Amino acid sequence: MSALRFLWGVARTPRGAVSAAVLVLVILCALFAPWLAPYDYAIQNLPGANTSPNAAHWMGTDEFGRDLMSRIIHGARTSLSVAITAIGISVVAGMTLGAMAGYFGGIFDRVVTAVVDLTWSFPEILIALLLIAIIGTGTESIIIAIAIAYLAQFTRLTRAQVMALRSETYVEATVNLGAGHAHVIFRHLLPNAITPVIVAGMLATGDAIILEATLGFFGLGAQPPTPSWGAMMSSGTAQIFIAPWIILFPGAAIAVTVIAINLFGDALIDALDIRNRLREV
Amino acid sequence: MKIFARRLLAGALLSSTFLMSGFAAVAQDVTMVLPAREVGAPTYDPIRGTKLNVATTLIYDRMMLQDADQSFHGQLATEWSVTEDGMEWVFKLRPGVSFHDGEPFNAATIAWWIPKFAGTENAFMTEAIASVEIIDDLTVKFTMKNPDPNLLSNMATTFMGVPSPKAYDAMGDGYGVTGAVGTGPFKLESFTVGQETVLVRNDAYTSGSALSENKGPAHIARLTFREIADDSTAFLELKTGGVDMLLSVPADFRTTMEAEAGLTVVTMPGRELFYMPINTTVAPFDDIKVRQAAALAVNQPEILANLYGGIGAVADTFLTAALLEGKVKDELRISYDPDRAKALLDEAGWVAAADGTRSKDGTPMTVKLWTQNGTEFRRITEVIQAQLAAVGITAEITVLDPASINDEYKKMTEHQLAVRSYSYENADILDWFFSAERLGYPNVSMWTDAVAEELRIKAMTGSRTWDERVVNFTAYHEYVLTQFVFAPIYQPVQSYAFTTDALMVPEVIRSTRVQSQTFLDIMVK
Amino acid sequence: MLLFIVKRLLLLIPVFLAISVVIFMLVHLVPGDPIDSILRVGATPAERAALVARYGLDQPILTQYVTWFGKMVLGDLGDAIILRRPVADLIAMNLPHSLALGSLALVFSTVVGITAGALAAIFRDTWFDRGVMTLILLGSTVPSFWLGLLMIMLFAVTLGWFPVSGARTASALVLPVLTIGLGGVALVARVTRVAMMDIARRDFVMMLHAKGVSRWRIELGSVLRHAMMPVVTILSLRIGWILGGAVAVEFVFARPGLGSLLITSLNQRDYPVVQGCLLMLAIAVMLGTLLGDILQAMMDPRIREGMK
Repeated sequence: MSALRFLWGVARTPRGAVSAAVLVLVILCALFAPWLAPYDYAIQNLPGANTSPNAAHWMGTDEFGRDLMSRIIHGARTSLSVAITAIGISVVAGMTLGAMAGYFGGIFDRVVTAVVDLTWSFPEILIALLLIAIIGTGTESIIIAIAIAYLAQFTRLTRAQVMALRSETYVEATVNLGAGHAHVIFRHLLPNAITPVIVAGMLATGDAIILEATLGFFGLGAQPPTPSWGAMMSSGTAQIFIAPWIILFPGAAIAVTVIAINLFGDALIDALDIRNRLREV
Repeated sequence: MKIFARRLLAGALLSSTFLMSGFAAVAQDVTMVLPAREVGAPTYDPIRGTKLNVATTLIYDRMMLQDADQSFHGQLATEWSVTEDGMEWVFKLRPGVSFHDGEPFNAATIAWWIPKFAGTENAFMTEAIASVEIIDDLTVKFTMKNPDPNLLSNMATTFMGVPSPKAYDAMGDGYGVTGAVGTGPFKLESFTVGQETVLVRNDAYTSGSALSENKGPAHIARLTFREIADDSTAFLELKTGGVDMLLSVPADFRTTMEAEAGLTVVTMPGRELFYMPINTTVAPFDDIKVRQAAALAVNQPEILANLYGGIGAVADTFLTAALLEGKVKDELRISYDPDRAKALLDEAGWVAAADGTRSKDGTPMTVKLWTQNGTEFRRITEVIQAQLAAVGITAEITVLDPASINDEYKKMTEHQLAVRSYSYENADILDWFFSAERLGYPNVSMWTDAVAEELRIKAMTGSRTWDERVVNFTAYHEYVLTQFVFAPIYQPVQSYAFTTDALMVPEVIRSTRVQSQTFLDIMVK
Repeated sequence: MLLFIVKRLLLLIPVFLAISVVIFMLVHLVPGDPIDSILRVGATPAERAALVARYGLDQPILTQYVTWFGKMVLGDLGDAIILRRPVADLIAMNLPHSLALGSLALVFSTVVGITAGALAAIFRDTWFDRGVMTLILLGSTVPSFWLGLLMIMLFAVTLGWFPVSGARTASALVLPVLTIGLGGVALVARVTRVAMMDIARRDFVMMLHAKGVSRWRIELGSVLRHAMMPVVTILSLRIGWILGGAVAVEFVFARPGLGSLLITSLNQRDYPVVQGCLLMLAIAVMLGTLLGDILQAMMDPRIREGMK
């Protein structure tokens, strides 16, 4: 309850209000796409291909005469579900790894840190491309690739939080009192370390949306006719003259969503006053 | 003015920077974009290469060239004759020809060249030749294993450009990659695979055929071929003056380009055919009724009218309209018939549910539909996906790279449908794609059929004359059509476009596509 | 200082070994047999065996790795399957284009980013600061390939100022550099601005103000100079990001380069080329980090001391 009240507080700042409104809109699109979209996203109408925005099709139609707005609304579903699932997996796995590394230390910590440091300096897109080379294309592959690409970030962040908390007196005391490892990690360390990780996860979701779109643009993501913002632009490049709106609107959808996520994340960081904890990494 | 200012800016930047990978245009320097389907050709080795681009025809001369009307005209061979039984051919060679490396071209070259094909993927080109005999310095005789009325047609293909024996043997595996030496009107200066090829004029050239006005050295001094995979990028380059000519113009841009001042767009009959092979060994397509239903679900007129603006033609057989073997009985042509398709699926036991999707014994009718990267393929495939859905077949698309799609076939996985195209103008393409000896790839349909094999072998090796060959291939073609091992889709036209200010291209193209005979006559303004 | 550089270089060796193992394993983790792609249609089992032996695929995996690594160190990265030539040649053809693009983008983002960030910090909370911050937000949230497409539409097509694609003239570099650079500018400007505002609050700066030193001298002479440390650190850490951005941008502008080579070979499953590209990019990332370390050490003697 207090978390909700807190979010409400953030949403009442000017920055928070605008970004929250956009985010709510995008999430509503993703959740209720079939009801919100004016047309079926897959129904083709070849004679009506590449029509410019008009009263019937507010964003025009694509090269198959499909309603672009309906595809963008459905595309929100693809983009958000891929990004959120991937980052969700990544956060859970990263927190587990990072907490264990930070708590137990020793050889396990050193191995984890070495691997994390190794991948950390590589751009996520390269890691994702490498993984896709191995596991193949398609929605599931993209989710796994994005999840692994961001793993280093969350592991590193959690480990830093846990290391800082581990040396605090109350944790030391709990350990000395003979509490189990699981008890210490789950009851004391993670709850205190979770806030920056969640916020970092939220910001990473924005990046993941861009990464998903980029991979889709390379033709590696969801297969047709599933609408995805990146793939829509990929097929739209051939129409760049005849129908520039096929590229403009999906790109704008990505930009607006990601900007909203960043602004809201920023507002959260300020409200929680955790900027320094995020920067430690 | 705009273009001038841009070149000026480019020039100013060029002189002030360390990166100089190209030059601004100078007189007689011409830049062209290769046809999209030739992008990524890895080599200029005509003997071993399976994908060659049009620049190959400029580096190498061939024994003979073929006109647009399919007639043959000598180039390196000046005359030839064949015995009545088709078992012996004699070729007279052009005198005074030498390779770019100074080596002479003569009968010894041919005796070295023909056996080189054995063991390569192009071996079928010369398979019927048993031996080559040198009669004199400029005369050779081929003794055949079996009559091959197709021999001249093979010799006119790009694969039978004649390389310099000395250079070929010296360069080994690197031939065609690090260098290529022929007798053609242009010498290879540099080759950056996937990017560009630079050719320079062979000033000693005198072997122009009857198909060119110009028999001597080309008018173009330096010819750069760029490889641009993306159609819109290629169009933009032409529009903004970055290149002088596109050797293929995507259908989407034809109207836009025609409206553009200063550009000439020319359309000529196509040699390509789009089709959908059906794997006959994987259910549900092991049932001929289901295969027929899938083939009849393809709405060729809709694709022609809407994706191509009515330009080109529907395909209703496996061969392009220009080939005599494509003139089959009308009832065998495969044309759109959705009602019949639905009825066939009902007969085969695939029942339609309320939403139109079909299933049999609880198994939904979901099939794999492969396609390759590239706007045109992806677009046709998405339309076909919708057309199949209209009769109740749910198709899931997988997009593969053109280079890797054949590897997937070689693995003989459970592939089902695919959208593919071939570009070839000889009926023996039927043998290539449907021979039981080549299951997986190229026989993507995985089709083995005793009757078909008998007809195929008769067509390939049992014809003495061209007319006999036409009859035999027509019979084989007709049988292939009755078995619904593929669905025909579309026959495109081919177009090229050039900047009127920069080039003068002959109005009549004396071949089925723009190649060496036309390049000799292109003038630079 | 030399000792410091040598030590840092030695530290990179295990990292490089680890990367090489991962990249080597790539070919073996991929489903399917790479030999199938090379084999000609209708090949006999004997031809197949000969190819397997030629590529050394019949050897134990450790032997294969050692052979591969040994050759790789000597510059032999094997032969491309589809493109049928040494991978090293392909990389040699593409690397200069990537280097030109990457280094110009880096210079552009550093110069413009520091200028914008410094001005935003100096004029904090004015319309200029807000304008820069908005641009920064846009620069870091817009997909680079989309930005590239928009640039093509505006500058190459509508205005006709620059070539649409390729790398045949130097002017073809302008749009790709701008496209990658905008993300970099956003990053550098943000770090510069925050660092300068941090330092401006420090005691010694207050002291300078109290002494009556002019504001511009303080901001540019002391604050900006001290703020360079975090900027250099972030830049060296983010060199990989600039390379990553280059992958998509090279693709959009149909430019030769390691990025477009990587995407093409990935699509064609030409794994020796994929390995080579990833190796080169890994080396670039490592060298970038090293360069950052060295710059940091030059600016701050304490780091050099710490290494001893």
